[in-house]
Amino acid sequence: MPLNNTNIVSAAQTKFGALTGVTLREIFSEAVDKATIHAGIPKKDIQAAFIGSFIPEMLVHQGHTAPLLLDFAGLKGIPATRHEDACASGATALRAAIMAIESGLYDTVLVAGVEKMTSVSTSKVTEALAAAADDQFESSIGLTFPGVFAIAAVAHMQKYGTTEEDMALVAVKAHKNAATNPLAQFQKEITLEKAMTPRYVAWPLKLFDCSPISDGAAALVLTSNEKAKKYTDLPVKITGTGQASASMNLCDRSDLTSFSASVDASRQAYKMAGLKPKDMDFAVVHDCFTIAEIIASEDIGFFKPGEGAKAVRDGITALDGDKPINPMGGLKAVGHPVGATGVKQAVVIYRELIGDAGPNQVANHDTALMHNFGGTGATCVVNIMRRADL
Amino acid sequence: MSEKPTIEAYLKNIEEGHFKAYKCVDCGMIIAPPSGSCYGCGSSNMKWAEVSGKGKLVSFTVIHVAPDQFAEEAPYYVAIVELAEGTRVSARLLGFDPLKPEQVRLGINLKLDYEKGKSGATYLAFKPA
Repeated sequence: MPLNNTNIVSAAQTKFGALTGVTLREIFSEAVDKATIHAGIPKKDIQAAFIGSFIPEMLVHQGHTAPLLLDFAGLKGIPATRHEDACASGATALRAAIMAIESGLYDTVLVAGVEKMTSVSTSKVTEALAAAADDQFESSIGLTFPGVFAIAAVAHMQKYGTTEEDMALVAVKAHKNAATNPLAQFQKEITLEKAMTPRYVAWPLKLFDCSPISDGAAALVLTSNEKAKKYTDLPVKITGTGQASASMNLCDRSDLTSFSASVDASRQAYKMAGLKPKDMDFAVVHDCFTIAEIIASEDIGFFKPGEGAKAVRDGITALDGDKPINPMGGLKAVGHPVGATGVKQAVVIYRELIGDAGPNQVANHDTALMHNFGGTGATCVVNIMRRADL
Repeated sequence: MSEKPTIEAYLKNIEEGHFKAYKCVDCGMIIAPPSGSCYGCGSSNMKWAEVSGKGKLVSFTVIHVAPDQFAEEAPYYVAIVELAEGTRVSARLLGFDPLKPEQVRLGINLKLDYEKGKSGATYLAFKPA
């Protein structure tokens, strides 16, 4: 049965990038203000908060962040819990909020994600991110995050003939879409030649195949049907949600050309929503690396296994294509403040569905899918969203 | 060989150049790296197993940008290797030029080896058979 009581009535994000001069709590508070008081939703209406943040302990030396952030943002006193599932922290916080509304426990809740990554050195960030891989069996031999996705890329290239140029085309598309998104870290188009610059991070992945280190926050207000009309004439409904996990180790997976958690979470979400991939107008997927977008586009059922690269080459996933993917620029060009990403993906879908995406507006915008995954793909959350007037 | 396997002992075996896998006492499945429950039958009853040291290359990468502790070793290969006994491990790949990864073919036969890192640690590794 589709979910029928969860409505997004407000969604906002801060600018993503190196946000100098502001700290974690200030970035968080800005996103919360934009999603609440600036959208006509009084903070006193919020009954509980679900926060996504990956590893502030290592990045800003701060634990127990949920009450701290809520207090600073003027929401002191309400229940607040932080969710940590690496890069999927934002989406698992969102899922907890969905369950809270659907259960009837609350009518109006806040979902927010935040990460401040640029206040420590790049090697410290690398160390922090590596904590999301298996420390004892993979990180310990020098396998890095780009390395994990590079291994998947090599397997995909071998099995399906995907090329380095196909991956570079994903980066070119991301930068093109982000060029008109004022909240993006990189508002600049790049040529294919530039994307192919052979600065290898983990062969065959190059610098332009990788998402950047970013600061940023995003926030949503979710309500029950009864309350939704109080805040907006055009809510967005979450009608299907799925979550799955997989082995953390790459070596424990039988297929390296697909991420099983993505396939499993997608199946759950489609089944719950009573919809199929062909019913989706567009998708926002987790393109932490270019190959991740190609594989995700297959795992969510938009294209058959092995045909994701061709879809990029043929422009099918472009902003004006038949199945746009990451119409505002994805993690690759908008930035990837880890805990904020899953919430930001829902912000993008909300804005596209209600027709508020400006130059990044997709043509068909009734129904869409978001795909957020964590770490090496050991956690995946997929949500299906529709405009409430359908 | 009769004591209950632990992760600490598994890692120490690699450090000492004598890799051993886990084996499920109930169904016989060979397991590495260690798991608290058998992939095949779910049992948590494990013992040690010697392996043939033969394997095949499943996939690989060459790490160019490495964390601080491995920076002096970069560029280096990390591979996924399927052991003849069926389980897969992550390991260093030796015997190939890290600047010529296009010459490495998936599916090639490999044999167990070890690599002493500049950090002092010993890594599980494989080289062409």
